[in-house]
Amino acid sequence: MAYSVPRKFPTTVVGSYPKIPPAMDLIKKRRAGEISEEEFRKLIKEPIREAVRDQIEAGIDIISDGEQSREDMVVYFAERVEGYRPGDWVRIFDNVYFRKPVIVGDLKWVRQMIVEDWVYATSISQGRPVKGIITGPYTMMEWSFDLRYGRREELIIELARIIRREVEELVKAGARYIQVDEPALSTRPWREEAELLKDALEVIFKGLGDVKRIVHICYGRLEKIIPYILEYPVDQFDLELKNSNFRLLPYLKEYGYDKELGFGVVDVHTLQVETVEEIKGYIDKLMKMDFIPPEKVYVDPDCGLKRLPREVAKAKMKNLAEAARIAREEW
Amino acid sequence: MKVWGMLLGGFPRSRRLRHVLRDVERGTAPYYVAEAEVDRFASQVIGAQLAAGFPVVVDGMADWHDIFRPFVDAWRNVTVDGLLRYFDNNFFYRIPVFTDEPDARSFVLSRRVYRFRDAADPAGVKVVMPGPVTFAYMSKNLSGLSTEELAERIAFLLREEARKALDAGASLIQVDEPFLADIDATPDHARLAVDLVNSIVDGFGDRAVLSLYYGVPEPGVYEVLLDVKARYLMLDVADAPARASSLLKDKGAGGHVLALGVVDARRIIDDDESRIIELVKGVAGGSEELVLTTSTWMDLIPYRYALRKTIILGRIVESVASSLGADVWSIWG
Repeated sequence: MAYSVPRKFPTTVVGSYPKIPPAMDLIKKRRAGEISEEEFRKLIKEPIREAVRDQIEAGIDIISDGEQSREDMVVYFAERVEGYRPGDWVRIFDNVYFRKPVIVGDLKWVRQMIVEDWVYATSISQGRPVKGIITGPYTMMEWSFDLRYGRREELIIELARIIRREVEELVKAGARYIQVDEPALSTRPWREEAELLKDALEVIFKGLGDVKRIVHICYGRLEKIIPYILEYPVDQFDLELKNSNFRLLPYLKEYGYDKELGFGVVDVHTLQVETVEEIKGYIDKLMKMDFIPPEKVYVDPDCGLKRLPREVAKAKMKNLAEAARIAREEW
Repeated sequence: MKVWGMLLGGFPRSRRLRHVLRDVERGTAPYYVAEAEVDRFASQVIGAQLAAGFPVVVDGMADWHDIFRPFVDAWRNVTVDGLLRYFDNNFFYRIPVFTDEPDARSFVLSRRVYRFRDAADPAGVKVVMPGPVTFAYMSKNLSGLSTEELAERIAFLLREEARKALDAGASLIQVDEPFLADIDATPDHARLAVDLVNSIVDGFGDRAVLSLYYGVPEPGVYEVLLDVKARYLMLDVADAPARASSLLKDKGAGGHVLALGVVDARRIIDDDESRIIELVKGVAGGSEELVLTTSTWMDLIPYRYALRKTIILGRIVESVASSLGADVWSIWG
């Protein structure tokens, strides 16, 4: 079934969606060895189907699988890449911990990690494109411990090679939108850090062919890194903007931003659902700044929706899709 | 020349302590079980530091959820709100919310000195407090005071904390101002910090440390900080060795004793001893006294690696001293 993505203000998502039962139980059972990876893959299809349905009903043009298989954006991949082992407990806040994975050997891609979910989501997307979304090498590096490589320059390139391999699998399967998530980058907004990622992105994206190359970056001091990332080999930066009250926009204009923009217009950290009028107002604000045409603006949430209740997440998507529809008539 | 080592701050919780604290929070264990476990844990952490040959030790502050929380709990007119990322870490602190001028209901640090000084003997006890600028700028200010006024009021309370800790027998008072190593810090922030830290340590600057971590301060910020009246100036060297080295070579230490954070407290890989020796020789070769420490608190790595890093730091102190022809100082006083 063919689906025509609107030329102006296409809508999309960053990726994750609230876990739909029994996704979380399945993740725990798989880890505990109560079900096999194969059984897990079979059973996780139902939550993926629900996540896809919600996005379609909300009117999103370019959707995701909802990342229903992933309990965490780093641990999920660490569990599937050779060279990692589960880590000890490290504190996130208060008395709450996560097992920060540890790199103990040479890193190696051994099997597809996200392709099956992508293929399934695509099979039920009613023709809508599905983004292939993968955690980026900088974030994998920063949010893992390293006992093997020592040199970050070497480690990030090894991670990039693994991600490249998975991206090749996605492209082979038919993915045309590839998004690399790099939330860790904005926490260390220095030139040398941005350059580390640039080299890694060259490895991931070089010569991929007819594929939309996207990097998602969120929170932290994005304005500090903007001058260092504009030359990244990507077509689109997908950015959190609403949470930081769009303070980044004047910087984008000042630096002559000319790539596509994933325009984050709903805050994923508040239960308050932005109205259609509010979101339309944000789009108008961007257009009035007159530095980017509507064909280059992809309207989406600030970040993954996973921490929201499902009904709130869906309502936010619905309103942003409606706001984009109205904006298309005007701009 | 003398070289000595110390841990910078907090230690990660052991498995047992995590579980006990969880049980107390859930209401399935009484609070005194946690108190007893904190005592036991602190004794272990202090023991590791004594074994590493450090003349001054910390208790590990394992019951602190973040650096601000014990002070928030002890003060009036401040509470906590949601979570915010703590600098560039994958760790989040609860934002202090000041609703009026803060005032002390009780004191945090002196109690700890009384509690742990016997376990630390013969080493001295170091206490650590958040700096007033970091505290004020990382809080939500609904007090009606300006941020600078709030920082001044916080400094006033911290001065009382410091005095009482010294009365209780603390050997060193450390003021942590990581905000000043941040890319957003300006010379104005540094000037405010210097004025306020000087007011906190007035009269005992020879027993005070100003520590800056999670990055290397911008040169303009660092220049101002050299006016601080704390004897010891701690810099995070492990995070960006080249930048730290260049800063110290260009600006010097302004008469302070450098405490160099050479052991990377945020990574678990063993630190490269020869690289550290080379770096230290380049920036502190001619000093009369040098302190080697961890790059920051160790509470963001697993417990067993924090123990390992403690021992590694002890070993590095020996190696650096040997390569510089210096004495290792391991008895406080």
